[in-house]
Parts: sequence; structure tokens; C-alpha cells
Amino acid sequence: MQPFLEFQSVTKRFNRVDALRDISFSIERGRVLALLGPNGAGKSTLFGCFLGITIPTGGKILLNGKMIADADRAAIGYVAERVALYPQRTVIENADFFTRLKGHSSHEAEEQLKRVGMSGARDRKIRQLSKGMLQRLGLAIALCGQPEILVLDEPFNGLDPALLDVLQGILREENERGATLLISTHTMSAVEPLATDAAILLRGKLAAFGALEKLRAENNSADSLEDIYYQIARGQYVTEEMFA
Amino acid sequence: MTTDSITVISANVATSKARAELANRKSKISGWNQIALIAAKEFGDRFRSGWVVACIFVWLGAIALTSFFGLIQIGQIGAQGYERTVISLLNLVQYLVPLLGLLLGHDLIVSENEERTLRLALAGGVGRLRFLAGKFLGGCLALATPLVSGFVIAGTVVGLSAKDSGVAPFLRLAISGLVLGILFLAIGLAISTFSRTRVQALVAALLAWCLVVFVFDLVALGIMISTRAPAAAQEIEVLCDTTHINSAADIHSDFDSATETQSRSGQAPENPSIGWLAANPVDLFRAINLSGQTELDVPWPVTFAATAFWLAFPLAAGFWKLRRTDL
Repeated sequence: MQPFLEFQSVTKRFNRVDALRDISFSIERGRVLALLGPNGAGKSTLFGCFLGITIPTGGKILLNGKMIADADRAAIGYVAERVALYPQRTVIENADFFTRLKGHSSHEAEEQLKRVGMSGARDRKIRQLSKGMLQRLGLAIALCGQPEILVLDEPFNGLDPALLDVLQGILREENERGATLLISTHTMSAVEPLATDAAILLRGKLAAFGALEKLRAENNSADSLEDIYYQIARGQYVTEEMFA
Repeated sequence: MTTDSITVISANVATSKARAELANRKSKISGWNQIALIAAKEFGDRFRSGWVVACIFVWLGAIALTSFFGLIQIGQIGAQGYERTVISLLNLVQYLVPLLGLLLGHDLIVSENEERTLRLALAGGVGRLRFLAGKFLGGCLALATPLVSGFVIAGTVVGLSAKDSGVAPFLRLAISGLVLGILFLAIGLAISTFSRTRVQALVAALLAWCLVVFVFDLVALGIMISTRAPAAAQEIEVLCDTTHINSAADIHSDFDSATETQSRSGQAPENPSIGWLAANPVDLFRAINLSGQTELDVPWPVTFAATAFWLAFPLAAGFWKLRRTDL
């Protein structure tokens, strides 16, 4: 049986720097992947390759056994680390534009704004929003059209505990609906309750990948995702980077 | 089979069905719809920013003033017929329209890249070609609206006040002016894809404008004179008319003398330097609109080929670059 999403020897080179080196792994539909690694390890670059933002130097990314194409990405929801929208436009105009660009109705945008608690700010300009509100709006746009895959780049950064709780709840609901989640984060405690799998990137290389139970077993029965990460990172002699 | 295992199996079947449905959910949007959405947004943004309305007023004012005072250099004033108005408007169109096209096009892509909104659009399934096409079409709309409005209003006023029914030269000016603007919009778009910042794009756009409007003609004539002076001497007057180097006043004088003698046809030089004109869209535009006043008639196949090249080349270059750009 072919995997749902497969990265085959993906590499990315920026001038003389190898940002990604021969990354290969696959995940099944409905799983939640926590992508971990220090700053500059290549997490965002890997997501960028998957989303068509970054052009891989080599390798393949397969979705349902076929090379991923632009049209396939309409079924992907993406929340960037720094949510960027059209500042001169309102919340609803931004949500509506990006929702319709994916082929879904304006009604969908309204619904998702309500879901993330942003419908009260629907007529506010983007430049008037706080970071937390911007993050919620980014999530609402990503959720439009019930995406098959949700890609979240550092979604827990700068969130207060209440908002973190809301975000975790929404992500859990999406996963229960059948969506596959790819989450890159430094906040391992926040992703741990959701994650079924973890991938650890160190200096652009895949240092570890697998189901959490398997990784726990392989790493002296580590108690938490954080323990697994530190054990693997120490083993790879990159402790300096690890604390960066 | 126990009740528990039946419940588990039916729950698994339900989940599988839900997942299969999810997998079958395909986006219903076509590429054309995405292009139309991006174009409409681009036009909407320009309209809201006041760019389109400001351009309409500037353009109308410029046309009205030029049309009314266009003959002041030869001691006349007042509304002129279409042919006179075309001669008066030539310089304005050849300077202003490329500038408008470049100013509109230079930030179409680079601003989206700088503000990081391009990433979200691409991640949402919009291909780079579609994005480029949508931005270009939106830019064309934002450019065409003031230009067409200006030409239609000014054309109507000129026709009514001068009681002139020979609208063909004015129509030719309007259509070729619009095409000229679109060509420079495409050049601006290409500059936008090659630039890293908006400032860089603006500087490149202004340099491109200076190059095609001022520098090119002088360099071209300089090369012609220095490389084949005897032959060039015969063509130089014609070329000066069809480039910016001759002033509108000279052409108006030619127009007057031609009207008196009625002897303008059949005097085209044997070896006109059409290649030089085709190499610069501004010169080509001028040559097309002065075909009645000068002895140089650019063949239509050359005009179409040069126009197609100047449209296709910057767009293709822009797409080539955008396809290779990491955002």
C-alpha cells in the first residue's frame, strides 16, 4: 500500500548551504507529525518544499503516490510562522479572498472566523490586529474547505494559555475529522498531546523519524517528546545548536 | 462476533468512509477562476488606493491641455481636429504611458513577495503562472481604465468642438497607446520578478524608462551615423521624426506643408531602418502614428511581430524567474 504523503530524498541547497540533506520519510493519512529541530535545522524549508514556496534542489514529494502538483495544494491548509495578509484589507476580505482562491464559498470563511472567535473583528483592517488575532485569522483561513492536510509552522509561538487551549482543541477536532497534521514547533509540550509521530531535523538531516511509541522505546523509554528530542540531539553532537 | 467488536468495526468503517470522502473532495476552482480572482483583487486594490481615479484625472487634464495648446509652438491655439490632436498628443503619450505602465508593473510581484502574501497564495494551490497571469491582467485593467476613459472623453470633446469626423488617426493613437502601456506593464512585471525589494524595482523601472524614451534613440542614431554615414544621412530626417528627437512643432510644420502640396505618398526611402524602430516599442508607436506625416511606413507584419515579441518576452522572462525563485 502506498503511503499518503512521502518525502523521497528531498534536498535543498541555498548557495553553499545545505538546508535539507536527503530527507526521506512517509506518513499515513490522519496522523499528526511533530517536526522538531533547532533554529535553522530546515523545518520551514521542508514545509516550503511541500507547499511549493521553496523549490527543492533534488528529490520528490509524493501525495497519494503521485508527485504533488499545484492543484493538490488547494486541499492543504497552511498557517505560517508569521501570518502575512493584505494590510489594507479587512479580516473578512482577506479570509474571503484566500478561501475563494481555493474554490470554496465565502460562507465557509464566515464559518471558520466564527470558529476561531474572530467574527467580531471581521471588518477590522489587518494592520489593526494583535499578533494573537492574526494567528487566529491565519488558522481560520487554513481551515476553510476542510483541508486534507494542515501544515502549521510554529503555531504555538506567543500564544497565551487560553488561546493555546483553543488551538489544541481545534487541531484535535481537525484530526478527528480525518485531516493529517504537520506541525513544526519548539514548544514540544504543546504538540505532545496531539502528536502520533515525530521527525527530528538536525543541520538539515533527518536525525530521527517514527511513531512516538517507537521513538520512546528506542530512546531508553524517554518520558516525553522533549526527552526524546534531547537524547537524539545529544547523540548527534549538536547541543550548541539545540539550545539556540 | 461480540457487540463490542461489531461497534469497533462499524466505527472503523465510518471513519474510513469519512476519510474516503475527504480524499475525494477536490477543489472545484479552475485556473481561469483563480486568475480572474487575482486580477479582480489587483484592480480593486488599485481602485481603492485612488490610483485609477487619479490617473483618469491626470490623463484627461493632460489630453485636454495638449489638445488645446498643442499648436502654441507654431502660434495657434484652440481645439484642433483629430489629426492635429494626434500629433500634439504623441509626445505626451510616448513619455507618460510607458511610465504609467512601468510604475504600475514594477511592484506587482515584488510587493507580494516582500509582504509574504505570495507564500500563502502559492500554498493554497495557485500555480506561479496563474499568479503572474492574474497580476498582469489586473494591472492591464488598472492601466486600461484611465487610458480608455481619457481617450473616449477627449475624443468625443475633440470631435464635437472641431466638428471633425475623421476619427481614424485618433483611434489609432488610442489603440496603439493602450498597447504601448500594456507592453511596458509587462516589462514592469518582469522587473518586479527580478527585483528583491520594491525600491530596487522602482529604480530599475525608472532606468528602463529613461533608456527606452531618451537614451535608445540617441544611441541608435549615433551608431547609424558612425557605421554607415552616407546611407544614414538619407534616413536621418525620417528617423528623427519617428523618434522623439524631432519636436511636435517640426511635425506640425511638415503637416502644414504637406497639406499645401498634397505630395506625401510614394517617397519612402529604399532602406528605412525599421529594425531600429522595432527594437524600441516607443519608436514603433511613434512610427505607426506618424505614418501619414513622415515618409516611413512600418509594415503591419513587422508591427505585429515586434509587438508580440515585446509582450511575450518580458512575460516569459518574468515567469522563468518566478519559477526559480524561493519565497
